[in-house]
Amino acid sequence: MSAEHGGTTEHRVVGTSARRADGIAKVTGSARYAVDLSVPGMAHAVVVRSTRAHARIAGIERDAAAASPGVIRVLTGDDLLAAGLTPYYGHVVLDHPVLAIERVRFHGEPVALVIAETKREAAEAAELVEVAYEELPVVIDAHDALKPDAPNLHERRGERVGDEGMDEGEGGLATNICAIARVGWGGDIEDAFTKAHLVVEGEYRYPMLYGYAMEPYNALAFFDQGDLVVYSSAQHVYMVRRDLARMFHLPLARVRVSAPYVGGGYGTKSYTKVEGMTAAAAFFTGRPVKLDLSVEEAILTTRSAAAHIRARSAFTKDGLLLARDFDIVMNSGAYTDNTPLVNSKTANRCFGPYRIPALRVLARSVFTNTVPSSSLRGFGAPQGNIAGELQMDEAAAKLGIDPVELRLRNLVGPGEEFMPGKRPLDADLKDDLRCLSAALEWPGATAGHSIGLGVSASDAGAYPTSTAAVRIHSDTSITLFTGSTELGQGSRTVLAQIVAEELGVPLESVSVINGDTGVVTYERTTGASRTTTITGRAVQEACRDARRRVRELAVQALSVASGEIEDTAGGVRAKGKELSYGEVIEKWFGAGGEVLGHGAVRRAEGFAKMPPFYEIGCSGLELTVDRETGQVHVTKLTTVGDVGFAINPALVHGQDAGAAMMGMGAALHEELVYDGEQLANPNVVDYRVPRFSDIPDQLIHLLAERRDGSGPYGAKGAGEGAGNTIGSSVASALGRLFGVFPHQLPMTPERVWRLMREAKRE
Amino acid sequence: MLRRFDVHRATSVKEAVRLRQMLGEDAAVYAGGTELLLAMKLGVARWPHLIDVKPIASLREITATKDTLRIGATATHWDIERDTVVAKTLPAFARLEASVANVRVRAAGTLAGNLAFAEPHADPPALLLALGGRVVLEGGAGSRSLPIADFITGMYQTAIAADEIIVAIEVPLPASDVRIAYVKFQILERPSVGVAAVATVRDGRFVGAPTVVVGAVDEMARAVPTAQFAGADARAAGTRDAIAEAARGAVEPTADLAGSVEYKRHLVGVFAQRAVDSLLAQAS
Amino acid sequence: MGKREIELRLNGVERRLEVEDQVLLIELVRGLGLVGTKLSCDTQVCGACTVLLDGRPVSSCTTLAIEADGKPVETIEGLADGTKLHPLQEAFIDRFAFQCGYCTPGMIVSAKALLEARPDPDAPAVRHWMEGNICRCSGYQTIVDAVLDAADRMRSAR
Repeated sequence: MSAEHGGTTEHRVVGTSARRADGIAKVTGSARYAVDLSVPGMAHAVVVRSTRAHARIAGIERDAAAASPGVIRVLTGDDLLAAGLTPYYGHVVLDHPVLAIERVRFHGEPVALVIAETKREAAEAAELVEVAYEELPVVIDAHDALKPDAPNLHERRGERVGDEGMDEGEGGLATNICAIARVGWGGDIEDAFTKAHLVVEGEYRYPMLYGYAMEPYNALAFFDQGDLVVYSSAQHVYMVRRDLARMFHLPLARVRVSAPYVGGGYGTKSYTKVEGMTAAAAFFTGRPVKLDLSVEEAILTTRSAAAHIRARSAFTKDGLLLARDFDIVMNSGAYTDNTPLVNSKTANRCFGPYRIPALRVLARSVFTNTVPSSSLRGFGAPQGNIAGELQMDEAAAKLGIDPVELRLRNLVGPGEEFMPGKRPLDADLKDDLRCLSAALEWPGATAGHSIGLGVSASDAGAYPTSTAAVRIHSDTSITLFTGSTELGQGSRTVLAQIVAEELGVPLESVSVINGDTGVVTYERTTGASRTTTITGRAVQEACRDARRRVRELAVQALSVASGEIEDTAGGVRAKGKELSYGEVIEKWFGAGGEVLGHGAVRRAEGFAKMPPFYEIGCSGLELTVDRETGQVHVTKLTTVGDVGFAINPALVHGQDAGAAMMGMGAALHEELVYDGEQLANPNVVDYRVPRFSDIPDQLIHLLAERRDGSGPYGAKGAGEGAGNTIGSSVASALGRLFGVFPHQLPMTPERVWRLMREAKRE
Repeated sequence: MLRRFDVHRATSVKEAVRLRQMLGEDAAVYAGGTELLLAMKLGVARWPHLIDVKPIASLREITATKDTLRIGATATHWDIERDTVVAKTLPAFARLEASVANVRVRAAGTLAGNLAFAEPHADPPALLLALGGRVVLEGGAGSRSLPIADFITGMYQTAIAADEIIVAIEVPLPASDVRIAYVKFQILERPSVGVAAVATVRDGRFVGAPTVVVGAVDEMARAVPTAQFAGADARAAGTRDAIAEAARGAVEPTADLAGSVEYKRHLVGVFAQRAVDSLLAQAS
Repeated sequence: MGKREIELRLNGVERRLEVEDQVLLIELVRGLGLVGTKLSCDTQVCGACTVLLDGRPVSSCTTLAIEADGKPVETIEGLADGTKLHPLQEAFIDRFAFQCGYCTPGMIVSAKALLEARPDPDAPAVRHWMEGNICRCSGYQTIVDAVLDAADRMRSAR
């Protein structure tokens, strides 16, 4: 366990906090994000949005808008249908209309698109579009949507188009159930509950959140001799490519999606957002078209799923878990989007990395007339933990057992299977927890201060398909091609460090070209904390392939046997003579030339067992409460980054700090609130994200590096874990402080105040 | 992106008044624009004409006589926070100005603009009301000054006449032994409770009645009835509790995302007590 | 009314431009190709659009371009001296004070104004000044470290 990574002599470049490759670009303002791009002749699009939560579209009157100055075209969903395009997108279920067709299902849904010479002209014309609605019954609350008399939001389900890595849902879904997941094992669970010494039972609520990536969704699209080119803020450029290819009936090879620097992702920019609309605008006008959303519009595009969890946990007198039972209902909005995966992960991530003899989890995500939900950092773990982790603390309080000790008694050990059939745990959670509690000075001695902490192990990594390529130039400098996108997590830097390490070249000689499907190699996704582990392995394979190619060239160019060639840093040694890669290349070609190495990983060998790795969350905090206002102040925040090996320690700390702060936001302040059929706070004035004033007094970011991961040098992923237990930590700290455990987040000052009053009454 | 409008630059108060008369409801007075331009962006209001009063030199001045601090209408929160005259005569007000919104809003936004917009969740009105501040107006009918309580008449409503502009805010300067406090509670972008307290304290007792004003929680700042505390022992728990109760009773909190009526009313009591505590903590 | 002619000193360069009254300063700046200044919340609360107008940090998303008439305007692009980075820029890199980088221009410009007003701030002063700048990636502490670090560098350089 270390606060500062000392660096070893084993590695030269990896394991060091190398300065970010995108540093100068970002601090000088020269870094280009999709929103900064423009091309000559570019037109601008503005979205017309539904003013109803659920209605049939009786008619769209667009003549006035079409005649408005500067307007080139006004598009509706019917235009896409009439043109023979596939007017829906979706990577699991094809049910998300590019522009509404026949019906709108949430307030703010795109209904029409106005394309004009300038954004101002498009905005002015958009106000002239008149939509006639025939209102339908509205359902906002997930439980209401489950009732037998609820309006059916999807009588006809879209086609399932997900592949093995995606389609984890069950078929035959009942009314308004978007996704259903069941996890369970063990014998008679009810028997376990009856026999238990203690049953902790409760209902827990996790809020609907907005990721607030500061660059709102945007795209620039044009057709280039029939090939579609789209620049956007997408995290998964290859997934977007697939949706667009399907939409326009184009081969994958003729669709190019490129994401320059992305201004924040956190999962919110996973999969297709506005690219389909923008490409449709380009298709119908024959012009390059830019569409950039405001923050309010971004909130109306994607938010995260709120959860209501009924949970029971059965314990022996000594605090050993006998059984856990979870009934999870998530409000996941109007369209499927990524819900089947989030739903499935919530089911997997609610019960914790504990030995549980009997488990039953039912997770249902429900269609409602609200903004569609999709991925957000943590991906079901924060939702699950407000029930699962918190009940550990509640049990400890009732049993009179120290909550750290209670966890230690139940945590699975390294190499132990805690989900049948899945990869055994690749972490030493007990050691992590001991480290965390020591750093927090658990149990704490200061009056009025309370500590909360938690442990989680998320089945992370998504699906382990990744490729990479390295080009070795004739001067021994290297270009890395990777389909992963740079969201701020530092992928360009970390992957370059791996290349520099593997090929034995200086880091400064490695350049990275990324996130452009027309140029680089296939990357399934950038998310699920997978890039270091999975893409990193593909990069290693590409480097090995490149070295093999250099050795082959050396055999021919130097007329030596292959057994006589050794790898060196940046080159080879043959017959006692050292040559750089560049020298080998030039010798073989005669003049110039280059070597290309390609690497690919898939669900095989090191990644055969799913999940490819577990992302560990081991965070805690100490807080005080202003007893008059209920305002929480965090005095200490501690994270343990159990990442196997930190290829760049500073970047891991950055991810842990950012994830933990986001967790604090949800724990204390953040909540999207529906007021009737509309959001009450679709903006960051009334939706409060963490600010400078929320920095905890003391921050400790630790690393655990046991080389136990499936990634390069034993690495595992980071980026989400540190936030996963912040919500339950705040709730448990408050519970221990006041004697009543809150079951809802965020614990705003008012909710803390009410908790204090409730505690006084008891 | 804003709808098209024309900006008319007034170089004198007379010109500004004339423009107001000429353009009527189609024009808004504009200085910092931090509230105005935002309202236009959000689509809650729209004016084809803006009358820019920043070129009027006299409106920038911050001056003081023996009795009165006069803050010109185009003085920004940033200016007021740093001004040496304010620092010498009314440092508590400088401290309040330093806490308004964020540094960029303070850099451009004016105190007069804040009052003219009459946003209920605002800081300045409570303290200005407590100090007896007045808004000085000039229009076609001449010059007049209104106490804050008469100037702000409701949420986003003021008593300004159609052809008037604010030229200054005048604050009577309290005697040197008068203590001034302003405390607030803020979680979102605007304060949800603010309490101003002004009193003379001698040997722990109020000399005369303290002035307590609660802002940011009701439709406008509300003065708390405090006559019964004249001469009271400011340190006594009973006094503090009674002031809190009086404060709670003096407002009708608006429920919103910052809290329920019940919670906000509770906060009013808390911060009324904290305002008194702040007075007591000051050296006389 | 049509366009108004304004003269401003933009990142040290005298510019004469014609703008309509309702054009926002961020539209002017980005329209000139200075896209380092970013639009995010569009409501003055996030700070991504911060530029210095006559030395003061303002929300360029809610400032009229005509207000720049006769004044110096500084954007993020104006900080470096050719390839020589400003101490704030160096400190942000050395302290890992950014991740996605979208808030970074606004952060650095805002911090520049702070250090000009107050060359020796303490951490609470930095946090108070920067409270109006949002970062969603970093958790803020590395930004505070970078600003304090830059203040040290600038003081030693004097």
